[in-house]
Amino acid sequence: MSDIALAIRLARRELRGGLKGFRVFLACLVLGVAAIAAVGSFAAGITRALQEDARVLLGGDVELSFTHRTATAAQLTAMEQVATVSTIAEMRAMARTDTARTLVELKAVDSLYPLLGSVGLTGNADLQGVLARRDGVWGAALERATMTRLGLSLGDAFAVGDARFVVRAVVEREPDRTANVFTLGPRVMIALAALPDTGLLQPGSLVRYEYRLLMKQPGSVDRVVAELKVRFPDAGWRIRGLSDATPGVQRWIDRIAMFLTLVGLSALLVGGVGVANAVRAYLDSKTQTIAVFKCLGAPGRLVMLIYLAQVLALALLAIAIGLAIGVVTPAVVSPLVADKLPVAARTGLYPGPLAVAAAFGLLTTLAFTLWPVARAREVPAAALFRDIIAPLRRWPRPFAIIGTLAAVAALAALAIATAIDRKLAAGFVAGAIATFALFFAASFAVAALARRARHVRRPGLRLALANMHRPGSPMPSVMLSLGLGLTVMVLIAQTQGNFVRTLREQIPAVAPSFFFIDIQPDQIGPFKALLRSTAGVDAIEEVPALRGRIVRLAGVPVDQVPIAPEAQWAVGSDRGLTYSAAPPPGTRLVAGDWWPADYRGPPLVSFDAQIARGMGLGIGDTITINVLGRDVDAKIANLRAIDWTSLGINFTLVFAPGTLEAAPHTFIATARVTSEAEDMVERLVSERFANVSTIRVKAALATVESTLDSIANAARGTAVVALLAGGLVLAGALAASHRRRLYDAVVLKVLGATRREVMTAFLIEFGLLGLAASAAAVVAGSLCAYVLLGFYMRVDFEVMAGPAIATVMAAVITVLVLGFAGTWRALGQSAAPVLRHA
Amino acid sequence: MKEANPPLVELTDIHLTLGSAAGQVNILRGVTLEVDHGETVAVVGPSGSGKSTMMMIVAGLERPSTGSVRIAGADFGGLDEDGLALFRRRHIGIVFQAFHLIATMTALENVAIPLELAGASDAFDRAREGLRAVGLGERVEHYPGQLSGGEQQRVALARAFAAEPALLLADEPTGNLDAATGAAIVELMFELRRKRDATLLLITHDPDLAARCDRTVRMLDGRILPEAPAQRAAGAQRIR
Repeated sequence: MSDIALAIRLARRELRGGLKGFRVFLACLVLGVAAIAAVGSFAAGITRALQEDARVLLGGDVELSFTHRTATAAQLTAMEQVATVSTIAEMRAMARTDTARTLVELKAVDSLYPLLGSVGLTGNADLQGVLARRDGVWGAALERATMTRLGLSLGDAFAVGDARFVVRAVVEREPDRTANVFTLGPRVMIALAALPDTGLLQPGSLVRYEYRLLMKQPGSVDRVVAELKVRFPDAGWRIRGLSDATPGVQRWIDRIAMFLTLVGLSALLVGGVGVANAVRAYLDSKTQTIAVFKCLGAPGRLVMLIYLAQVLALALLAIAIGLAIGVVTPAVVSPLVADKLPVAARTGLYPGPLAVAAAFGLLTTLAFTLWPVARAREVPAAALFRDIIAPLRRWPRPFAIIGTLAAVAALAALAIATAIDRKLAAGFVAGAIATFALFFAASFAVAALARRARHVRRPGLRLALANMHRPGSPMPSVMLSLGLGLTVMVLIAQTQGNFVRTLREQIPAVAPSFFFIDIQPDQIGPFKALLRSTAGVDAIEEVPALRGRIVRLAGVPVDQVPIAPEAQWAVGSDRGLTYSAAPPPGTRLVAGDWWPADYRGPPLVSFDAQIARGMGLGIGDTITINVLGRDVDAKIANLRAIDWTSLGINFTLVFAPGTLEAAPHTFIATARVTSEAEDMVERLVSERFANVSTIRVKAALATVESTLDSIANAARGTAVVALLAGGLVLAGALAASHRRRLYDAVVLKVLGATRREVMTAFLIEFGLLGLAASAAAVVAGSLCAYVLLGFYMRVDFEVMAGPAIATVMAAVITVLVLGFAGTWRALGQSAAPVLRHA
Repeated sequence: MKEANPPLVELTDIHLTLGSAAGQVNILRGVTLEVDHGETVAVVGPSGSGKSTMMMIVAGLERPSTGSVRIAGADFGGLDEDGLALFRRRHIGIVFQAFHLIATMTALENVAIPLELAGASDAFDRAREGLRAVGLGERVEHYPGQLSGGEQQRVALARAFAAEPALLLADEPTGNLDAATGAAIVELMFELRRKRDATLLLITHDPDLAARCDRTVRMLDGRILPEAPAQRAAGAQRIR
């Protein structure tokens, strides 16, 4: 303990020398820690907003919802006995004027809506007044996007289904709606009483009724829910409480935050190289001091402690600055990205994410500095005597190796433990280690190649090659620092590029152009006839469709069955159901057999193989689906591998004939339509079948693409930090070799080389360095993208040449510019002083 | 003739071979040397003769390839690196040609280091006293960069004597100083040595400085040249 106190005291004196050699060290750590702290604080701010506003976002203390149907009178009475109940109906519908039409998210609200918070309308209009029927015409409040799409102004009329509405206000804020993460259309809000007039409430139409309950007796939610469950065990409703008011949004935020944290961690790892370089250079400059300590009787352990204390003190300083930036950043960025966020983040001080960021910073420091610091212990005191300097032992002592490995392991464990998707985080850790290994191997290979090629005749090229393989060459540092930063960029570019390719080329090539939903059984014949008679339309397919909820697996209620994370979504809400005698086109059975076309027996179902695996179900197991309030037990007859990216009509559950035919249901249809015919098809369908909603796949894909763009931009924004850290390390490594470069330049000039020749030699070296680092980064980043896309996101991978070439060019130019800037002075250096001091 | 007490420094048949790019280099080839308590010994010889290496071996900063080193009765062969550091801390002070003060520490802090390492609670009082003894009582808060070469070497002397070592090793202590300053430093060094009755092993190229010592050891090519009997006797008489 006294050793530690003494080490700290001596370290403090040593640090009086200033932070000059530590600028890159500090900057690298600050950047990485700031990125992680900012992402964490931002996500925590959004989570806090979601939690604090949970009641408002949910619209009550609890929400009970049904698909296709309303609550029974008994259920409603039971609810009203314990709570104030507000009823809302939501569905997708076509809104149209004489000249325009668009798919909208229709929300029909009762007179109590909203139970909590308020709807923000232009001019502070009163919602009920806006929606009321006046002079025989219902009012509506529209999102501005709806008005733009339909070319409407306040006071204009439009139709939904059979009903006409007048735009009386613009919706600026809905208390129970998180901003669009992904929706198919903009909002139209009408009165619940107006909904029947639209004629959209046909049997089987895809409408969701939500009952928001505000408890009469505070704190009674859990008891009331339990009692309702007991009283109506087969209600088939979906119950959402405060803890899952916004589960989708929360998952979305958690996932994005995890991605960005991993990108931030990459920045920290890139910076780690700079940290290690800085510590190594600092200790090199301290050889004499270390030797003095040893001559004066300081044991090696104390010497190591003195320098470890300095490194840790500086790391703590950097971490503190990084955390401060991390705390401030969300407040700065939040207004800039407000329209992309589901709720406004509550900026503030969140100790949790800050502690995680600090721990990442500290562990990175230890992982990258224990090794060089431990070597300080090996500096011989003999260094003080003039003629003998024994070479340093190449490997530090076992404790330093063990300590370094422990820090790396702790870093990996922290990355995995703090991620919501541990599998992905583990993949990141493995990828990071593999990338480091690849860059070490690449720098060895480049050095070996340079050594082999050193006999070239051009002196400039020879000097450049020599500089890449000589002892102490900055090449490995540059390869690692620049290469790692570029790898992150390549990974993001290749991932996004492949997603966009899938969305723009692959999906449209196989996907239909339109989805038509809510086609009534008596409309399906005329509907198909209409499409068939329209030019430019083909590949028309239709299937019966209704919604149902998975309520029991092998007889056990779903909330009591452990379900793998990747299958959770299937029980989170209603699933689409259909029935079919024959396997749908493109069906790929992975287990079991399809039923005979004339099957007439107990209910059988064909199930998604991946979800079945996540639920631990197999052939012959029973799955219970609540359809329109009735539980249906069906035996799993076969499992299908479903390719959701085809965007064809895919159903998680396909029933054998004989079970669902009698239930009220609608049809879904798809069709391939030429681009020129799309507007016409949409117009014809909405004119003839006002209740049928038309979804343009192109528009939906564009929405997905724009969402992906936003995510990629956020990732790129965070990755810029990694690149910045790489740039810093690069600049540091080049600066460290500056003195030697100066000497080389002078000697070459003394030997008769022109400035141009000297410059050419340096530029060749920098160009080769940039080329080698970026080529390795393209390989490493593409490999990571291949693994991420192929094994995790299940998207086909193809190397995107554009981003790859751009990366290589950007890297070469960066290294050339930085190198040129650092070397320019060397060219103008007069020879005498350098030679005198050499 | 040997003293009744065992010698303070006993080097016996020391060989040191180091590997280099050019192959094995024999730096010391059978050095045997005894230095008694309180004796002052000058080591002279051309560059590369092995003087500094022998001093490093005496300081425990280098280990011989073969041969035995006993200092103040302690066999260096039985001490590990940290054991040697602890031994140095208690028994050996070193003065270098290039002073080797720590630039980021004041004169006082530089002198206090060996005492702090030894865990002395009065390290700074004693360091202040040491600086006063070398005439720098008014400059304790100055950094090495603010001191002249002679002053820096005085600080180094104060530091070397701070822990009151039995053995002082000096490697050309006046090599970086002008003649007048060097002479003053030599006076100071001998004075401090005398007051503390320390043994001095001094490397020098200066014949006058060597002549002030009880005995001169000449080295050439990694070996100690045989002493003339008269010189040994003269040296013995000067031992005080």
